[in-house]
Amino acid sequence: MRVGNVILAELDKLRTLPAVLLTAVATVGAAAGIAAAFAAGDGGPGAAESVTDVTLRMVPYVQAGLVLLGSLPAAHEYADGQIRATLTAVPERGLLVAAKSVAAATAVTLTAAAATGAGAAAAALTWWRAGAPPAAGGGGGGALLGATAYLALIGLLSYAVALLVRHLIPVLVGVLSLVLIGSPLLAAVTAHARWLPDRAGSQLYAPTDPVLTAATGGLVLLVWTVAVGVGAWVRFVRADP
Amino acid sequence: MRYGRILAGELHKAATLPAVWGGVAGALLGALAVTLLNSVAARAALENGRAEAWGSTSPFENAYAAMPLTVVGAVVLGVVVISSEYTANRADAGGGRQIATTLTVTPYRIQVLAAKAITVVVGVMVIAPATLLVTVGLARLVIGGGAETVSVTAAVTRCLGGTLYATLTGLIAFAVTVLTRSGILPLLVLIMNSTLVSGSLLLTKLTPLAHWLPDLAGRRLFGGLDTVDGGLAPLPGAIVMSGWTLALLVIAGAVFSRRDA
Repeated sequence: MRVGNVILAELDKLRTLPAVLLTAVATVGAAAGIAAAFAAGDGGPGAAESVTDVTLRMVPYVQAGLVLLGSLPAAHEYADGQIRATLTAVPERGLLVAAKSVAAATAVTLTAAAATGAGAAAAALTWWRAGAPPAAGGGGGGALLGATAYLALIGLLSYAVALLVRHLIPVLVGVLSLVLIGSPLLAAVTAHARWLPDRAGSQLYAPTDPVLTAATGGLVLLVWTVAVGVGAWVRFVRADP
Repeated sequence: MRYGRILAGELHKAATLPAVWGGVAGALLGALAVTLLNSVAARAALENGRAEAWGSTSPFENAYAAMPLTVVGAVVLGVVVISSEYTANRADAGGGRQIATTLTVTPYRIQVLAAKAITVVVGVMVIAPATLLVTVGLARLVIGGGAETVSVTAAVTRCLGGTLYATLTGLIAFAVTVLTRSGILPLLVLIMNSTLVSGSLLLTKLTPLAHWLPDLAGRRLFGGLDTVDGGLAPLPGAIVMSGWTLALLVIAGAVFSRRDA
């Protein structure tokens, strides 16, 4: 059994799952709408922000879409028992989980890139229509790449959590509560909150932390993802489906 | 006493749903953890004589900061009470949905829906004050009751306000889930909107009318947590939020009683 075929099959499943397609399209649309809203709210003559700055401000909102998109590839298999058909077709579990992860990574990366691109385009378009040229400078293309990497990694982290937990609702509530509620509350209390996955990962596009840089922050988020992923991999390979 | 039985059935169903217990336990443990961290920081600030460096050393304030987690618990309760009815069974076990059984044993749709809404109200009204009671107790244990600056009247008012907000949010989650038949959208939107990364808050940048959206209208019910300027005062806000909730429940009732299950 060739790994390429399994990856293609997993990608095919994602492409034909209405929830995945809807989430990806809605995420990109929301990115464009939110970036346009920020541009319209703060733009105008004498705006001090560049297109990149405005685009980066939509990242905390858009990450919710990536959390959902990342959870779906694993969670939908367990929602109605499809995992049994999948394992009958591909009995090598290690191969299956590797192929599934590649497919999920492809989906979240493409969506993250499209969302960042759509956000930047919408912000630029909003200012161009208002006739107010955005301020030069600020973060450049590198920050946009960082935002794409952050969004993709948050999606992958959700994928790993969903593979471990196997149910959509707890993953959605858990990851969103951690990222949107827990992390700001903890950051107000202790500086150690910088090691939380979303705080560390945000250094990729907004490097403000005195300890972590863009590279090390991204690495911390990656380590979280791999750590959860290893647990999920062990459960997937060794436990009952 | 037919209606009492319908209500008892729905309460029993909700109390035996693992997702409900997961949501309640998650909200409670999260609130306890946040309160503990807050209180330890507040006590350290008090002992170092830098009480003003930490926002507030009042045990009540430090516990109340975890209230958004209770709102998430209320959203989970509102969603799963109805979304669990629509979750399809495994395909090799018939792929049936519990809603068919529910409507077979109680073919009075509005009464079923009302019983479920009452279940949400009862659940949140138990969970929210209980969580606050436990977390305030923990904060007083850590900081010491002497540091309290919030009067009992104010504490009770804000507890009731927060509970009302959580209850209405839970009911909105319930009504929207009746319409979508899936919990994904209401969970995503309502959890986001109970934080500062809120779509409604973003809309206020474009139009002040956004202050009339349900989540922003009721925001002042919390009292003391004035993180955002503008918007409606507590009482009109509560009325607007209740109006939204009622309207959504009526729409949910109309749709639920007319469409195919």
